[in-house]
Parts: sequence; structure tokens; C-alpha cells
Amino acid sequence: MGRPLTRREDARILNGRSEFLDDLHPPRLAHLAFVRSLYAHARVLSVSPPESASGLLAVLTASDLEGRTRPLPIQAPEGAEVADEPHPLLAGGEVRYVGQPVAAVVAESRALAEDAAELVEVEYEELDPVADPRASDLELLRWRRASGDVEDAFRSAATVAGGRYAMPRLVAAPMEARGALASHDAAGDLLTIWCSAQDTHRPLRHLGHVLGWPPERLRVVVPDVGGAFGSKGSLAPEAAVAAIAAIDVGRPVKWTEDRAENFVAAYQGRGMEADVELALAADGQMLAVRARILADLGAYLLPATAMPPHTAAMLMAGCYTMPAADVRVSGVRTHKVPTGPYRGAGRPEAAYFLERAVDDAARALAIDPVELRRRNLIADFPHRSPLGFTYDSGDYRRCLDLALELRGPSPSEGEERLVGTGLAMYVERAGGSFEEARATLEPDGRVVIHSSTSPHGQGHDTTFAQIAAERLHLDPADVVLEFGDSALVPAGTGTFGSRSVAVGGSAVARAVDELGKRCLQAAARLLDAPESEIAWCEGGLTAGDGRTLALLDVAAAGPLEATARFESDLVFGSGAYAATVEIERATCRLTVWRLAAVDDAGTIVNPLLAEGQVLGGVVQGLGESLAEEATYDDQAQPTSASFADYSLLTAAEIPPIRAAFVESPSPLNPLGAKGIGEGGAIGTPAAVANAVSDALGGRHVDPPFTEEKLWRAMHE
Amino acid sequence: MKPAPFEYAAPRSLDEALGLLGEDAKPLAGGQSLVPLLNFRLARPELLVDINGLSELARLRRDDGALRIGALTRQSALGRSELVAAEWPLLTQAVRFVGHPQIRNRGTVGGSVAHADPAAELPVALAALDARFVAQSPRGRRMLRAEELFLGPLTTALEPDELLVEIEVPPVPEGAGSAFVEHARTAGDFAIAGAAALVSGSGHAAIALLGARPTPVRAPDAERALVDGAEPREAAALAASSVEGGHRRALVAELVRRAIEEAVP
Repeated sequence: MGRPLTRREDARILNGRSEFLDDLHPPRLAHLAFVRSLYAHARVLSVSPPESASGLLAVLTASDLEGRTRPLPIQAPEGAEVADEPHPLLAGGEVRYVGQPVAAVVAESRALAEDAAELVEVEYEELDPVADPRASDLELLRWRRASGDVEDAFRSAATVAGGRYAMPRLVAAPMEARGALASHDAAGDLLTIWCSAQDTHRPLRHLGHVLGWPPERLRVVVPDVGGAFGSKGSLAPEAAVAAIAAIDVGRPVKWTEDRAENFVAAYQGRGMEADVELALAADGQMLAVRARILADLGAYLLPATAMPPHTAAMLMAGCYTMPAADVRVSGVRTHKVPTGPYRGAGRPEAAYFLERAVDDAARALAIDPVELRRRNLIADFPHRSPLGFTYDSGDYRRCLDLALELRGPSPSEGEERLVGTGLAMYVERAGGSFEEARATLEPDGRVVIHSSTSPHGQGHDTTFAQIAAERLHLDPADVVLEFGDSALVPAGTGTFGSRSVAVGGSAVARAVDELGKRCLQAAARLLDAPESEIAWCEGGLTAGDGRTLALLDVAAAGPLEATARFESDLVFGSGAYAATVEIERATCRLTVWRLAAVDDAGTIVNPLLAEGQVLGGVVQGLGESLAEEATYDDQAQPTSASFADYSLLTAAEIPPIRAAFVESPSPLNPLGAKGIGEGGAIGTPAAVANAVSDALGGRHVDPPFTEEKLWRAMHE
Repeated sequence: MKPAPFEYAAPRSLDEALGLLGEDAKPLAGGQSLVPLLNFRLARPELLVDINGLSELARLRRDDGALRIGALTRQSALGRSELVAAEWPLLTQAVRFVGHPQIRNRGTVGGSVAHADPAAELPVALAALDARFVAQSPRGRRMLRAEELFLGPLTTALEPDELLVEIEVPPVPEGAGSAFVEHARTAGDFAIAGAAALVSGSGHAAIALLGARPTPVRAPDAERALVDGAEPREAAALAASSVEGGHRRALVAELVRRAIEEAVP
């Protein structure tokens, strides 16, 4: 543990030996393309497939799915009211966002499928769309939690500060878009679906729900995945349609989403704003927080659409000893593609809403924002937040001190530029629920581990091998990881929410510990020595009398296997991010000059990979701060639906990033681990926003901090 | 994102190519703009005339003092040319801002001109250099100046049967200095605004603007003021005076000022 091993999966991936969904070409493969709505809101009067088209195999419409499928399930957060507005697989009588699938076309090639899709005639009757969530009168999600005497806190407060803070919608923009390949074995009545997904478990569950089939008739295989960032956590409606198409045409059917589809039809992230009020005593003590979060959920509730606003709400007490809180969530329908989890999934929003309010409060009280935070940081753990989370461990003060130290001094302001500094603290929910692992000692002496959590870029192969190798005194090269096939891996929850190491890694640890015990027992038998005298040594096991046994010898005596399930409450990672920004007066160009990222993810298994996670998250957070925004016009037509209009940062825009870890082990799992996948994306936007506001003398601007917006803030 | 069906021809000679062009045909050069438009099905030509085999269009040479840039000259070749760097450095300075290296390896100078993207760099630099654009069709050849060629966003005066074959750049005035500056959201992204400046101590000033209008435009008032001895900041303010939008106007003014200051020999 703690060794910076390089990613062993990279030799394969970087040399082009990976196998992504679109690399799969089974014999007789047919291809799927979709007819998608051009309107944000319209009645569908008729859908007429062409009588014939080159290479056309089938056209599916909503009526073809009737009675055979159900819409995707909706997950309701604890204590929330959610509307029964699931996403239909194909639109029936109405379309509710531009890009919504209306019909599916199966043909001999993707190009022919697209040609035939153009020949499908859809008759629409346009209806008024809702683009602005404030203008929506339909609530799809409602939640409220209040605790402590909030009214009294606001009555007795010396200062009430806060404001309205908004984070725009974003696209996840994974390098590989979504996709699925379905194949139906009619003889065995088994449906196999290769899916570009974050894990096998959720597609399996969702597909079972949609088709009404038991899991034993379904198999989900996740090949190499070119990124997801939350956007491949639910089965895509299109993937379910691919499954039906494969059954109907009796051939394997592949849907490889292209970038144009991904922009309009893959669920987007964020899209929340909050009215936040903090009640503070004259000495800066935080007495209560009151917040109302408005979430632009889009047209339907996909499985996880309701989750990010709830996570944001539950974290609105932040890292502070806030005795009272009253937080409400209203998630409303707009005629846009639904939202869902995107790296952070509510955590960046919470950090942004609360940390902006803390800075505004510091200004109102004329207290230094760092000092105001110091006076309120939680120092005793476990800590029960007024919203009901129990923070397991942490050292928030150490994170803050280290972030300031790493950020270092600022450049001086002058005629040419404004300079601002900003700090943001965060606490995040990670882990939770369960994962399983199965460890097998193979006859060749290697240990094979089947893990229920699977990677889509994080480096599970290296990290999990490291966990197992250390506990069995093996070289990591002798540990083989198997992931991503529901027919082979044990049950689990999935790869999301910064939970793989804390939960999946702990399951691996438990499984190899049990396997280790069985190895000791076997060695005792083979060496005819009491088990208590057997110990691990380099390359094998040794008895008290000096006799040794290679693991290979133990393996030769018969296969050994152990399975473990690990389940725990949520763990709470935390961190402090500090940014220095410059705004060039003449052009209003914003440059992030320095960014310090301090994360406490508990015990770190591999600092190199953990830092990689932080840097990746920071870069996405910077993109959100500087450039990214999924925009729509007042008719809810997307206006940033390609990379020509939706800007991702390049390496040239990335400032020096100084990352460091504080390690407060979690008491809730054998590794002491929390989660590190999201910290960078959580801390960065809030820290940069506070720095921008500082540079602007306290004026508030919401991200992305485009030059146009900064210009208006400086000149109007 | 697959293109609508089209026919494909790869002519072996310019005459053959010109014979194929027409209302429903599109010439394919580097494909850096056309291929995305095809894939979005925004461009739906019946015939693609692939001119990549016409090596006579890829020549870059000095002839009679003028630089002759074959339309098929790759942007990267323009960027690497020692002749261009020594005699027409404004082009070297501008081409660096075109996309990314991979794009410049395929993208052509002629394609950048004929596509007439309002955010394109080379048309702006060529406008500042008083370049002339040679269009050829079976009906003959004609020469156009920048203000005649660029009609609007993605719109030129080229007829459907005409091919841009060459760009002729006159020699720059003795002792002139030049600079190209631009402003984009991210490195390599489409420019929001930019400016090209060519200034000599002996009474020549050319300033062309990117992002001020939907086409490359010169700033004659600013050029005159500069020749009459105005400070860069004053000339820049004149150049930007008709630009709409507070931020954009300020941005253009700032970029022009920088371009002039960098260019002054």
C-alpha cells in the first residue's frame, strides 16, 4: 500500500490492444441508427417507415415495443417524492426534447441505417417548449429536510448573507461515446449485450426491468470503456432498443453512438441553481443554512436523474459545525435531454453553492474568508450533520493549511490585470452499499480475482492487484484481475460515486485475506505443522522450523478459492482547494494562475493513480469554470451541440496544479480508504469562482467565466 | 455521422477536374471543413472531386517578385517555408494559429480561403497582404481581390464551376514589419477576434481584422492614421470603432494595438 506503481493496463491500452465496443465485429452484424426529434416539444402524429431502402432490415417505432417493454426504472432518493415520468425507449405520442429517439432503423451498415433514417417520415405538431426551469410548472422531484431551530437561528443572527448561485448544464464528453451490441441466442433464449458502461450490474438490472426478463437469461459484458464520468451509469434507452432489434432481426445489432448524438441525447450533468442564506453570529459562527435548490431535470426521469440534486442538498452543511439547516429541492421539467450524474454528481454543486455563500458572508462580516472557515470547521469525528449524514473521519484544518501553503503567494495586481484568490472546502459522500470479490489460487500459482466493480479508465487493474499482492506477499504481476462480464463476476453495485477502492477494494482485501487463511491451512497440512506456526515469507510460506513451501506447491495440492462481500455505510472524503486567478483588464481573459488541490481520501493505495484522478478531476473542473456550458435557446433548441460550439480545455489552458493528500483513514473499511475519483471536480469550480469574485471586488458571476460575462461584470 | 451518398472522382489533371465541377459537385482538398460538413449532412454534393492528386496545384514559389501559393499547398508547408518566413513572415505568423498540427498537415491554404470561415486566419493575413486570388473554370481564369472574393460567412464569389487554383501575394514593402495576433477560448479553437498588421516606416500600413465582420476586412481609417503618425492605441481604437458589442470592440482594439506594436519594425 502507498506505492506509486505505474498503470499496468496502459501497455495494452496505449499500444492499441484494447477492445472498445466499436472494435467488436461479430459475424452477420447489423447496425442501428435513430430517427431523433428535431423539436423540443411536439405531438407525434405519425411515424411512417419507408417501404424499402438500400440495406434496410427493420424499422422499430414505439408501437413495435408496446406490450414487450417497460420504460427505464426511476431511482428515488431517500425521502424524495418523484413523479412517474420515466424515459420511454422510443417516443410514443409526444416528443419532449431535441434528440429524443423516435424510431430505430436497422440496416447492413451504419451509413445505410442513417440513409434509411432520413426516409422515415415523422409528422409532428409543434407544442410550446419550456426552456427555462424557472418558467416550468411541473415538478418531477421534491425533497425537503430541516433540522435544528432554523427560524431562531435566522432571528438571532447578526448577519444573514448569501445569494443565488447557478451551475450550467454540462456534457460529460467521454472520448468514447455510448453504445451497445446486442445478440440474441434464440435456441438458449439468452440475450447478451456488450455495453459501453461503467459496470455490468446496472445495465443488467435495467435491461431486466425493461424486458421483464430474469437475470439468468441476460448477460452483460463491458469491454474496454473510453471514459464515462457518470454518463454511462444507466442503461441508455437506445441500448435497450438495440436488444429488441437483435431479437427481432435475429442478428447481432450494434449501436455506436456518434458525437452528434452524444451531445443531444446523452444525459447531461449539473444544471442546478440555489438560493442560499447563511445565518451567522457577529463572531462569524455559522448558525444555520437555508437553501432552495432548483434543478433543471429535463424532459424525463432517467434512472439516476433524481440523485445529484439530492446529493447536493444533503451536503449543504459542508465542512462546518452548522447546528441547523433547512434545505429544499425542486426538480422541474424542461424540454431538454434529462440530466444525470456527471463527475461529482451533486457534490460540486453543493461545494459551489455553500462556499460561494461563505465567501459572501465573510465579505458581509468583514472577516477574512479563510479565518471565517477556520472558526467553523468540524474537528471532532464522527460528526452528524444536521442534514443526516455522518462524517466518519477527517482533518479539515490540515487540508486548509496545506492548500494555502501549496498555493503560495499571488502575483501583484496592476494596470494590466486584476488578481484574485479563492479557497473552497468540500466534504463528499463516497462508498456505501456493497461489492463482492472472488479470489482463486490457480494451479500455476497465480491468484485470479473476479471483482464486481469494473474500470472505465480509473486503473482498477493496477490498484486492486496492489491491494491483493500486499496481503498475500505476492508480486502484483502474479495477481490477475477479471472484470466486466456478468456471467463471471460476482454481484455488486457498480462503479460510481468514488466507491471502487473503498467498497470494491475492501471486498478484494477480504477475499484475499480469506484465501490467505486457506493457504495457511493447506500449508500446515502439506508441511505437517501446526497452523499457528505457518507464516508468509518471500515467495511462499514457511513453517517454524525453517522449511518453506512455494505458493505454487500449495496451488498444486488443489484449487483454493474464497469469496467475500463487503458492505459499509457511506464514507466522507474531504478537501481544500485554493486558486489564484488573473483577469486581463483589456480583454477580460481569465487565467487560472495556480491551483492547489488537497484531498483527504483516507488511506491512499496508489498515490500515482490517486493523483491522476485528482488532476483529471481538476481539469474537468477547470473546463466547467472557464469554458463549458450546454446551451439552449428559448425554444429549447440546443445551441452548443458540437465541439465547434462546446469548448473543452486543452493542455495549454491548464495551470500548474499542486496536489497533495491528507490521509485520515476511514474507520469503516479494512483499507481505511475513501474515494478520490471526484475531488478535483468538486473543489475546483468553487475555488475558482471564489477567486474570480475576489478579483472582481466581491461581485458574483456564475461559471463558465467567459470573457463576455467578465466584461459585463467589470463594465456594467 | 455518416455522409449522405455521393459519387467520387479523382481527376488526374486540372482540366479534368474543372470539367467535373459544377452546381452539384464540391472539390475535396484537405477535407478539414468539408468532411465534417458532409458527416453532419449539412453539405450534400452529388459528386466529390478529389483534387489531392493535382500536384501542380501544390507548388509554393516566388515568381517575378510575387509569392505564388498553389491552392493545394498544405498549411503546414506554408508554415515551414523558409522563403515565406523570410519574405512574407505575416503568413508564417498567421498559419501557426490555424487549428492544430494534425489539421495543418491536411488542411490547404486554398481550402481555408475557399471555405471562407469568418474565424479563419489565412484570409485575414492575405487581405492585409493585398493578395489576389486566381479562380479558374473551363471558361477561363480570373483574379479577385479579397474584398471581391469574400462575400459573407462561408460565402465567396467563386462560381460552382470555378476552382481556386492559386493565390498571388505581392512583395511586401521594403523594411515592413508584420504581426498576427488572435484571441480564442482555447488554444487551437476558432478565433473570437484577431488582427493582422503590416507596417513600414516609409508610409505603408495594412491592418486586417478577424471577427469584426463576417468577412476579413481592412481598417482603412486606422491605416491612414498610422501613416499620419498616430499612436498604435489611437489607430487601434479607430480600427475597432465600428465593431458591435462592448467586449468584442474592446477585444479588437486591444488585438489591433498589440499587432501594430509587434509589427512596428
